[in-house]
Amino acid sequence: MQLKGNGVSGGIALGKVYLYKAFQCNVTAGTFKQGEEQHYLQQWADAKTAAQAELEEIIRSMTAAGNDKAKIFTAHIEILQDEEIDELVTNAIRDKQSLPDWAIDCAFNEFIELLSGANDLLIAERVADLRDVRARLLRVLKGEKEKNLSQLSEQVIVVARDLLPSDTATLDRSKVIGIVTEVGGATSHSAILARGYRIPAVLGVPGATDSLQDGTFVVLDGTSGLVLTEPTDDDVTTYKKKQADYLAQLAAEEEFLHKDAALRCGQRIKIGVNLGNKSTPENFVGSDFVGLLRTEFLYMGSDHMPTEQEQYEAYKLVVEHAEGRPVTLRTLDVGGDKTLSYLPLPKEDNPFLGKRAVRLCFELPDLFKTQLRAALRASAAGPLQIMFPMVGSIDDVRRAKAFVEEAKAELDARGEAYDKHIRLGVMIEIPSIAAIADLVAKEVDFASIGTNDLCQYLCAVDRMNPDISDYYQTFSPALIRVIGQIIEQFDAQGKEVSMCGELAGDARAAILLAGLGLRKFSMSPSSIACVKQALSRFTLQEAQQAAATAKNLATQQEVFDFLASCGK
Amino acid sequence: MYSKQTTVVNKAGLHARPASEFVMKAKSFTADVTVRNMDKNGAAVNAKSIVRLLGEGLGTGTKIEIAAEGADEKAAVDALVALVDSGFGE
Repeated sequence: MQLKGNGVSGGIALGKVYLYKAFQCNVTAGTFKQGEEQHYLQQWADAKTAAQAELEEIIRSMTAAGNDKAKIFTAHIEILQDEEIDELVTNAIRDKQSLPDWAIDCAFNEFIELLSGANDLLIAERVADLRDVRARLLRVLKGEKEKNLSQLSEQVIVVARDLLPSDTATLDRSKVIGIVTEVGGATSHSAILARGYRIPAVLGVPGATDSLQDGTFVVLDGTSGLVLTEPTDDDVTTYKKKQADYLAQLAAEEEFLHKDAALRCGQRIKIGVNLGNKSTPENFVGSDFVGLLRTEFLYMGSDHMPTEQEQYEAYKLVVEHAEGRPVTLRTLDVGGDKTLSYLPLPKEDNPFLGKRAVRLCFELPDLFKTQLRAALRASAAGPLQIMFPMVGSIDDVRRAKAFVEEAKAELDARGEAYDKHIRLGVMIEIPSIAAIADLVAKEVDFASIGTNDLCQYLCAVDRMNPDISDYYQTFSPALIRVIGQIIEQFDAQGKEVSMCGELAGDARAAILLAGLGLRKFSMSPSSIACVKQALSRFTLQEAQQAAATAKNLATQQEVFDFLASCGK
Repeated sequence: MYSKQTTVVNKAGLHARPASEFVMKAKSFTADVTVRNMDKNGAAVNAKSIVRLLGEGLGTGTKIEIAAEGADEKAAVDALVALVDSGFGE
């Protein structure tokens, strides 16, 4: 059988499926000796307490994250506290010396059977809740924690409904050789992570957790977005060959990694890296600058609001590892799909159009200024510039700059060192700010084009929704024109503009972007070699001609076809 | 022992959220509370058990009898009948 999804991270994986799903437990009938009733009744009571604590924690964190699914777990607590279930389990242990797992299984089965008979969809759904609570009780009874991806015993292809930022944060890179999820498009969190780790991935495969069996051998093609179940020997041979070719291609690109990026005519291009928070010296290989230091991961990986000192040390480490390469620090961008456990945010109907990034920071001046002071102090250790995400107007730009002035004054009062001439810039990712790029250029030292959100907002497409991923067109003539205008306006003012969105790391777009005038491309470290290779194939004149043509094409498909013909 | 009869009027019946509200209200009284499906001439079941209540499949239009025994039996039955009659705010 062949499953189709979005191939979001290239490469081939052949391996066993690891179904990342709720705990499975087979219970067999068992009894204990008379006289030990108290001990086993206590086990039952303890299991309920532990399960309840887990559920409360889930509800707490989901509520904090603004997730409306938390009520499912409230229903689970109701089931957990159900008098009749408790009575059945207690009686079985006390009167029939049933072992707790057997007693639990029997009690739940009785009600599952009762409810399964109902001709009502709502009640049938509750059967799933009963199964879920039973599984949780049986698991805590065994003293097992909820499954996660940090302790895998062998190399596997992870199959899940979705991977949450908390799952991917703990994922063991050495064991996960492929990822398949039911939801998610090319710019989802899982996709960005998979590319960053170079893990082949196919996302948006409906029903993947039902169709793919745990432990079965499958072939995953992250380049074309296919998953093959029960592959034949021929399939395995074919895909092993494809895997070898892919790795050979990677090796060829690798040669480019250490060369300076340039077009065929010699025109130099600067290549930047996009980084999460914890930098290692290897992150900087082949790069000229850090085009995007995302600071969210420092906040998301913490159980408390990071202090100024903690942030300062983390930022300073990046500046030191960068060894003189300018670092562009983007201030906190939470809200939208990213939430913090210790900062409960009200649920919004449209979080991507809501209070995220600077909009949130403006309302939380202590949080914002703490980060700005930490960033300013890190600028004493080496070149660092500050960039504000999600600005939508000149008002936003000025407000953010005013906060920097306040943070500077606070540091001055404390006598702390920082770069007095620190450069300030903005992300261009909201169409309203792109439309006034000329005015923005007058207000800032630099800008960086964030193509993921710019495309999302320009095309009015939720990039997390796989149902409409066809509408999310990063090669649409509309986006190409907007990007061209932004670069033109910044060039006219003599201000620097770079691109840190996914498009900058897409080798297919290299000729187009260079032709539109982009000279600074920032991307995840894994894309650098490939983009340098792509850039080396064209002269500036060829790139400019290609860009001029692409701007006047009518559809994304025409752009793709045109770019493919340029490569020949 | 005190009891009253009424009819489920809300569209969803005693399922999902209404059932949860019903059980929560029943649990707020010390009296033992039961519900009986009059249409099926069923047995009285524990009104403080969500799974038992769901098992009765009390859809809209079902005639039910709510009964209670204990110190606050009258208050319990009256409150639960009022809740059912209110249609759970649907």
